[in-house]
Amino acid sequence: MSEEKKQIEQIRQSFQTAFAGFVHLHKEIKDLTLADAESYQRELAELKTKHTGKKSELANSKKLIGRVAPEERGAFGSFVQSIEREITTAIEEAETNLKNFIADAKIERERLDVTLPGTQPREGHLHLLTILRQKIEDIFVSMGYSIEDDREIETDYYNFDALNIPEGHPARESQDTFYTTNGFALRSQTSTVQIRAMERRGVPIRIIAPGRVFRRDTPDLTHTPMFHQIEGLCVDKNITMAHLKGTVGEWLRRLFGKETRIRLRPSYFPFTEPSAEFDFSCFKCGGTGTFESERCRPCKGSGWIELGGSGMVHPNVLRACNVDPQVYSGFAFGFGLERMCLLMYSLDDIRLMFENDVRFLEQFR
Amino acid sequence: MNISYNWLKDLVKIDLSPQELATKLTSVGLAVEGIHEAGDDFVFDIDITSNRGDCLSHLGVSREIAAITNAQLRIADYDSQKPANDRNLVSIQDADLCNRFTARVIHNVKITHSPEWLVKRLEAVGERSINNVADITNYVMHELGQPMHSFDLNKLSENRIVVRRARTGETIKTLDEVERKLDETMLAICDAKKPVAVAGVMGGFDSAISDETTHVLLEVAYFDRANIRQTSRNFKLSTEASHHFERGVDIENLIRASNRATELICELAGGTAGEFVDVYPTKFTPNEIESEDIQFAVKRLTGLEVESNEILRIFAALGITFAIRTPKTTTFTTPSWRHDLAIEEDLVEEVARIVGYDKIGEELPSAFGAGEYQPTESRKKSLRRTLVNLGFNEAISYSFIDTRHDERFDLIPSFVVENLDEKYVSLEDSIIEGATRMRPSLLSGLLDAVRTNLNHQRRDLKLFEIGKVFSASEKENDLPNERELFALVLTGNETLQNKAMPLREFDFYDAKGALEAAASAMNLPALDFHPKDVSHLRRGQSAEISLGGKAVGTIGRLNDEISAAYKFRQPVFVTEVDLETLLEAKEKTILYQPLPVYPSIVRDVSLLVKRDVSFADVQRTIAEQKFELCRKIEFVDVYEGAGVADDQRSITIRLEYRSDERTLLEEEVETIHGQILKVLETNLNAKQRF
Ligand SMILES: [Zn+2]
Repeated sequence: MSEEKKQIEQIRQSFQTAFAGFVHLHKEIKDLTLADAESYQRELAELKTKHTGKKSELANSKKLIGRVAPEERGAFGSFVQSIEREITTAIEEAETNLKNFIADAKIERERLDVTLPGTQPREGHLHLLTILRQKIEDIFVSMGYSIEDDREIETDYYNFDALNIPEGHPARESQDTFYTTNGFALRSQTSTVQIRAMERRGVPIRIIAPGRVFRRDTPDLTHTPMFHQIEGLCVDKNITMAHLKGTVGEWLRRLFGKETRIRLRPSYFPFTEPSAEFDFSCFKCGGTGTFESERCRPCKGSGWIELGGSGMVHPNVLRACNVDPQVYSGFAFGFGLERMCLLMYSLDDIRLMFENDVRFLEQFR
Repeated sequence: MNISYNWLKDLVKIDLSPQELATKLTSVGLAVEGIHEAGDDFVFDIDITSNRGDCLSHLGVSREIAAITNAQLRIADYDSQKPANDRNLVSIQDADLCNRFTARVIHNVKITHSPEWLVKRLEAVGERSINNVADITNYVMHELGQPMHSFDLNKLSENRIVVRRARTGETIKTLDEVERKLDETMLAICDAKKPVAVAGVMGGFDSAISDETTHVLLEVAYFDRANIRQTSRNFKLSTEASHHFERGVDIENLIRASNRATELICELAGGTAGEFVDVYPTKFTPNEIESEDIQFAVKRLTGLEVESNEILRIFAALGITFAIRTPKTTTFTTPSWRHDLAIEEDLVEEVARIVGYDKIGEELPSAFGAGEYQPTESRKKSLRRTLVNLGFNEAISYSFIDTRHDERFDLIPSFVVENLDEKYVSLEDSIIEGATRMRPSLLSGLLDAVRTNLNHQRRDLKLFEIGKVFSASEKENDLPNERELFALVLTGNETLQNKAMPLREFDFYDAKGALEAAASAMNLPALDFHPKDVSHLRRGQSAEISLGGKAVGTIGRLNDEISAAYKFRQPVFVTEVDLETLLEAKEKTILYQPLPVYPSIVRDVSLLVKRDVSFADVQRTIAEQKFELCRKIEFVDVYEGAGVADDQRSITIRLEYRSDERTLLEEEVETIHGQILKVLETNLNAKQRF
């Protein structure tokens, strides 16, 4: 029997010799490259076939059991099994360790830098003026106003006469108006739309007219010969300046927040009587004139932002549109969009609006 | 307009601090833009609207203060001497332009420097001291609002004044030492022989007072407002005098002003007052405004409830008087210094501004109905949104351009009337650089934008613009044509947000694809593209775009000549279309198609064709055969180069076969596919490559 046992013992010896190079894999695997680990894995698989496969010495050794005396076969069998278990356990442990190590290493190797930029298509930007115009249009449409626009080149009648600016009036003779060579005016205010809309729709009417207007100003930090205006008009029975103040207040509150206050100041426009400039409490400092203990920039420290002109529609304008000023009254207001952008975004040069420099355009959304 | 606080206090009692006064003045419409200290004085910078000529003086501002604070004005009458009507000294020949003229002779004056108090007063309001007489006329203008002019009497031929229209050919050297040509539209103050002053604008150099002057003729007059404005415009010469006269001075204030100045001259220049002439051909008639119920009118327009006593107090303070002439109406008479009050609404404003606009409440008009966007706005919104999502930035360019763009671009079809002498809309006498014509195309603006951005090292650009273009109308007296267009430009590479490495270079098909996406965003039927030579586009890379058979625009690569003019060193692709016509097109109707039940069989085929055979030709040729089972013809790829002759290209297409009734058999498909290939070969000489 000891002969057979000795043979088994030899198998065990030869395994242990062959396995010596793998023993360290039983512990935590460190400092191993993925390539080395994979070559260990291959070698280990060979070793496994050689020492535990069907043609292995260990498999052959099971045939020895026939030679053992019957009464010792039980003990011998257990012995062989224990050796077999010892060998397979050693291999499997190393295998598992290697497998886990390789899996971890592969995950490590495919670990991403999640801070790299995403694959995002380049997005464009609407022009600042479009963004603001759409916001304001949305507010007024929700308040029951209709959006109107019309011609940009007009007759003197629509640009002046119908707006109570008769020939000889200072506003008309001013050098501000561009004329075409055949005597038409580039509209100098979008009030022209009020007239055309009242002619078309009659009264009562509530409209907002956003559009381009032109004045002969040489471009500088605060002037461009073309800019955009938004004008509002509301004509109905029993309309008063209180409605003007309420309406201007309402849309500015919807744009700048509910604490916004409105101020009207007497002024002069040919197409309104009484006339008023409208100011609103500064959106930045809330009307205090001070922001972060410095003089507030948008309102220049006054707490008020002067936005535009307004008033009760002049009876001559109503009459020009066949509206009886004894029956109807109305208010109108207007302001420049560029100026508003300048204030809202603290821009220092209005000319940027029309240069189409994408470094400028891409700042707004 | 500079107004001195101390000076005002001479004219009206003021219990308010400069700050408080500034707030009050602003609230009644005299916008105080700034206050600055000047020694023991404060000076207000007041922005006076063009209708309030009466406020261009300390007297005018004092009146407003009196109305606000209910104080009394303190102004003397200065009626030291009553004038005569001596037609030998002064004659008015054109009374339509000169409603009143007073002349005062002051003898034995000594022209010297002014006393310190006078110099200080003038300095406070921003005026430089010249000499005592000139300073006094200036002083009285600032105090009473009446410009005046002093002549050296001895330098006036025959020592007399004639007020008449200038004659063509007459000239005058004005005080600013400019020789000016006069004409019949201008009013001149003349002596017996020649003009000695441009009425209401500037005096003559030769008749002006000098250190040697001993006898002064002081002119205090009223001139037609529009005429002064016109003369001042013609000469591009705006003076303090013309500024006052244009806005209207107080015609009934002339004697007072003349006496005030005379008193001061006698006092400070040692003269003695002599002849005083007042020629006043047509007496001033004040405006009369009828009102049935001014209290109601105030409430109707402003919502303010003002007691009638308070209304009458305000009117009295402002010099507006009233009379009840019929039981139903009150007649209000406006003062001679207020040229801006003509109708009841004007009176309402007077009440409202003195009561205070801050007393007006805030109300919203009662509900009316739903608001509406412009009918085209929703489609334009999705057009804009789609292009922005595709990476285009929206440009807005000036509507005017200069002449260097003339004939540069092929314009939108049937927009410009070609046989006109002047087919563009040009601006008259434009002083603004680059503003000569109204743009007939959006491309000039977009290409300028490309240039600007290239200058800033931004080489990958996608821009679009929506805006109006202009052309002359066929009939000269008609308003010019205006049309809204849409244009886009791209150049450089497709790039990703936040990644420096570009994906690929843009080509023609990027421009086309963006335009198609835009059309699809507006739910338009498919646009057609036909090869066409377009003058601003490179030959062979240009097309005309049409919708439903109507040409609507062009697309392609900018030609080398224009590219060189802009110094573009990379291909630029542009398209411009008639947005108005696109927006008129009916939206595509969508009909549900039942989902396929049976599988389809797909065949790819590469066809070798001559370069003049287009993909559209292939599509059309197959479609014409009306093979019921051939359901779809898709473009896969095009190949040119090695293995393909120079005059040929290989187009790969994908054909999809499907039946709605059954699963197709391979053999069936082979038969039809073979027939299709045969037709392509017969009609287009297209050979199957593989
Ligand atoms: Zn502020």
